[in-house]
This record gives sequence, structure tokens and C-alpha cells, in this order.
Amino acid sequence: MEDTSRREFLKGVATLLVAPTLTAASSRTGKRYAMLMDVDKCFGCMACVVACAAENNVPLGSFRTWIEHVVKPDGTHIFVPKQCNHCDDPPCVPPCPTGATYRTPDGLVLVNDELCIGCGACVKSCPYGARYINPVKGVADKCTFCDHRLREGLLPACVEACPSGARIFGPLHEENELSATVNSRPVQVLKPQTGAEPQIYYLSLPDEVNR
Amino acid sequence: MLDYYYPNEAAEPLLWHPVLFAYTLLVSGADLLILSALAYLSGSLRKAIPLMTMLGIGFFSVLLAGPLADLRSPQRSHLIFTNPQLFPTTTNPGTSLIAFQSIVWLVALILSITFALLTFSYYSHQASLTVTGLRRSIYRVFSLGVTTRVRYERAEKAAKGVAVLMLPFLTLWGIYPASLFVAQTWNPVWRGWTLLPVTYFADAFVVATALFMLAYFFWRYRSLETDVVIPILKIHAAGSLSVAALTALQMAVWWFWSPSTAETAAPVIPLMYVVIGLLLLSFFLSLLAMRHMTMILAVSLVAMAGTFTNKWNLIVNAQLVSKTGLAFFEAELGGLWLLETAAPIALGVAVFILLSILFPLEVRESGN
Repeated sequence: MEDTSRREFLKGVATLLVAPTLTAASSRTGKRYAMLMDVDKCFGCMACVVACAAENNVPLGSFRTWIEHVVKPDGTHIFVPKQCNHCDDPPCVPPCPTGATYRTPDGLVLVNDELCIGCGACVKSCPYGARYINPVKGVADKCTFCDHRLREGLLPACVEACPSGARIFGPLHEENELSATVNSRPVQVLKPQTGAEPQIYYLSLPDEVNR
Repeated sequence: MLDYYYPNEAAEPLLWHPVLFAYTLLVSGADLLILSALAYLSGSLRKAIPLMTMLGIGFFSVLLAGPLADLRSPQRSHLIFTNPQLFPTTTNPGTSLIAFQSIVWLVALILSITFALLTFSYYSHQASLTVTGLRRSIYRVFSLGVTTRVRYERAEKAAKGVAVLMLPFLTLWGIYPASLFVAQTWNPVWRGWTLLPVTYFADAFVVATALFMLAYFFWRYRSLETDVVIPILKIHAAGSLSVAALTALQMAVWWFWSPSTAETAAPVIPLMYVVIGLLLLSFFLSLLAMRHMTMILAVSLVAMAGTFTNKWNLIVNAQLVSKTGLAFFEAELGGLWLLETAAPIALGVAVFILLSILFPLEVRESGN
């Protein structure tokens, strides 16, 4: 009798401890997170870059996200936010010798710091220059779509910080602003010739700045 | 050339340090072992087999010391063997060439050591009869129980089997890391250098034979033997000419079929001319050395200068080309890079010296 009640008590404690994690994990199951950058709305304020650096402790000189400033021949100034594209067929994953770089079921491409040996193979294999070796941790580093914030039900720091709403984030296959825009308007991706199937979509991206 | 690059590239343009340069020279150990296995199987160049095997094992055994110094978390380097990414899964699609080659290295090294022990087994038995103490115990272990000529004949058959097995594994190393550059990076020069694996393979033979000639020259300076030098010179000449021709062919391919790649590769083209010049010189010197054998020293030094230039160009210079193909970074070599580069090679030489103390560097007749 005493054994049974102890077992039930332990079961209850375990349920309490595991339940929030399971709920957060199950709420992300079957999703495919993506981001949309509206180039017309970005005016290069760098709020996203700063927010990302502050949120993720990005070392000086390296960037999880950055904004490229391009002046077209006609004098038009264009600002293109860039970051890891969390590709569907990520070129950075197969070269990793220890499996430290991996793709989650909800489409995030992440790095397991405990497995990363800092060989730089993934850095060299990313066609977008989105990865770098973190000099403090000695491991590969990149945008995580603020995975730790998603687990709390929050938006990525860069999206939250953008004053003009140039960044739209969400699950691609659900009804939301992101999927509505991607499905209804002509969107572009960076370097489609790589075959990586990037999941950062762009609105109003001129061909000459797609590099 | 425009000046457009990704900001993370500017933080550390030379990610793979020149240690990789030393590492690729150590790959020549694989080619020395290929030559050794081929010589053993064909029955030719028998006198040269011990020197080639010992040099080959010396360099091949320390191969992974090169990239080890390049890792930012070397304390976890064992994970390449204990947790290799070989089989695709949902979360880890694809196979890592680095992990695959690391396993291949281990298998090739075990096979090469087995090959060496089998070929030296009878010698080890004889040596165990003439020495005492620890050396006697070592030679007894190395003899693998081969104490008679009859047993040695069986060991020779086994060695031939091992030699055949070694070849595919060592060949995989002969083209690595060129295969990695072409297949699993997005550096525009590496990806556009389609002849890189075959050029690399030929180049490793040039270094291998040059190393052999250097070691042979200093070891047998007063009595260089024609039946050893001439075949090695022929292989070296063929290798030098092949690398020069393949390098020229790659340039031609860029110019005629891919002008955009030629433009991107512009920073590496000047040294490609130097490589062609030095290896052609090495080729002509090889022909001369067949008449005047003491010239093998000059052949070796010129060839090494050519292959050093080639490796520097395709590893360091090509790495400095931005992924955008529109910028070229300056090489910033900090710290003890020269020492780090030389250390793995010195380690290979040390292993070779140790092996040369334990085993003879030539055989006078089969089985001795």
C-alpha cells in the first residue's frame, strides 16, 4: 500500500516536471518555421542586429544576422537583412563529422555545442556566410531562430525588435501573415541555384542584390 | 574585382589555418604506401620497399595531427571516431566526408602496419636471435611467429592479400582533402576546380617520390643504385608532368568554358603558372638525373618547391577568396603558424627515424 502511494507520488512529480516540456515540444510538432523579409520595409536601422547580439551574446566581429546596404545604379538605397536560411536541404549538415549540426523536425538548423569540435567544415559549407566559429566557446555558431524564445512562446529577438515590421516569422503551413504572403505574392530566396531550399523568403528583392 | 563579402568571412578569412598545408603534405604518406604495395605485388622495386614503407607509415600515422591543431575544441576530437556522422538520419541527413575519411585512415593504418609486420616478420625473427633485453622482446612480437622460411612464404602470401586490401583505402586518402574541397564546401574556387581530386592524387605521388629521393640521397649518398633510382625517377617524372598538365588544363577549362570562374579564380592563377614552371623543371631534371644520379637531390628540392607552392595556392590563397566570389582577403598569419605547420611533419620524420632504427631500410634479397 505504502509502495503504491510512493509510486503514484513519484509519477505525479514526474508528470509535473515533464509536462511543460512535452506541451512546448508537442505545440511545435509538425510545424515548419520560416521567415519573410520585406526589403521595401527595411531601412537599415540595425535594431535586429543589435537585438540579436544582445539576446544571443554574439561576439564582436561576428554576426548571426546582418544587413547589407546596396546602392543600385539608379541611386536607390536597398537594405537586405540576412541570416541563416534554415534550409530544407542544409549544405552545412552533412559535412559535420560528429553530427553536431542537425535539423529539428520543425525545420530549425541548430548546433549541439557538446558535440561540436570546432573543425569549421559547416562554416565552409554554408553558401550564405551565415556561420562563424565562436571564439569564446570554440564551436560553430549561427542563428537559431531564437529557439530558446520559441520554447517560451516568444518571437525571435530580431522580429520583435524590428520597428517597421520588415521581418515576419511563423509556421509556414498554418494560417498566418507569413504563409498568406508567401502563398499569395511573388517571393524570392537567396541563391536558389545552391539547391539548399532556403526558408528565409524575401519580398521585393532585386535580382542584382541576390548574392 | 568588386569588394563584396559576407561579414562573418571578414572575422576569420583563413579558417583552415596553414596547418592544413602540413596535413596535405602528410597525405603523401598514403601514396608512398600505395607505391610500396604496388611494388610488392608486381615484384619490382623490391629494394626500395622497406624505405617506402617506413617513410609512408611515418607520415601516414601522424596524418591527423595536422587538423588536430586546427580544431577549436580539440578536447572533443575523439568524437570523430566515437560519434561519426556516417549514416543519414532525419535530423542528420548525409554523410560527413571528414568522418568517413577518419575511419578510412584508421583501417588503412592498421592494414599498412600489418603489411609492414608481415613483410618484416622473418627479418624480425632473425633480429630477435642477435639482440637481447627489450629489443629481443620487441622483435619477437614483430616476428608474428614466422620463424622459418616456409612460414615466411605463407606470410608473403598474406602480405600480398593485405597489399591488395590497402590500395582502395589509401587511394581515398590520396585524393583527400581535394574531394572535401570540391564536394562539401561553397568556396567558389574549390568548387570550380573540377580537376582538383585527380591533380591532388598525382601531386601526392610527386611529393611521395620527392621525399623518397631526399631520404635515399642522404642515406645512400655514396652508392646510389640504378635499379632503385631509375624507376622512382620515372614515376616522379610522370607525376610532375601530370600535375603540370592538369594544372594547365584546369586553367584552359576556366578560360574557354567558364569565364566567370576564371574571373573568380584570378587570385590563384599567378601561382598556378609558378607551379607549372617548377614541375616542368622537375620533370626535365628527372630526365637528366637518369644519367647523373646525384641530381636526384635537385629533382627532389625543385619538386618540393613546386608542390609546396601548389598546396599554398589551393589551400591558403583559394580559401581567401570570398564565397561571394567578389572579394579577396589578405592572409593574416598570426602566432606560431610556422611552428604549427612544421610540427606534424617533424613528428612524421621522428616516427620514420624510430622505425628505421628498428627495421632495415633495404632488402638484399627476398626474405632477408
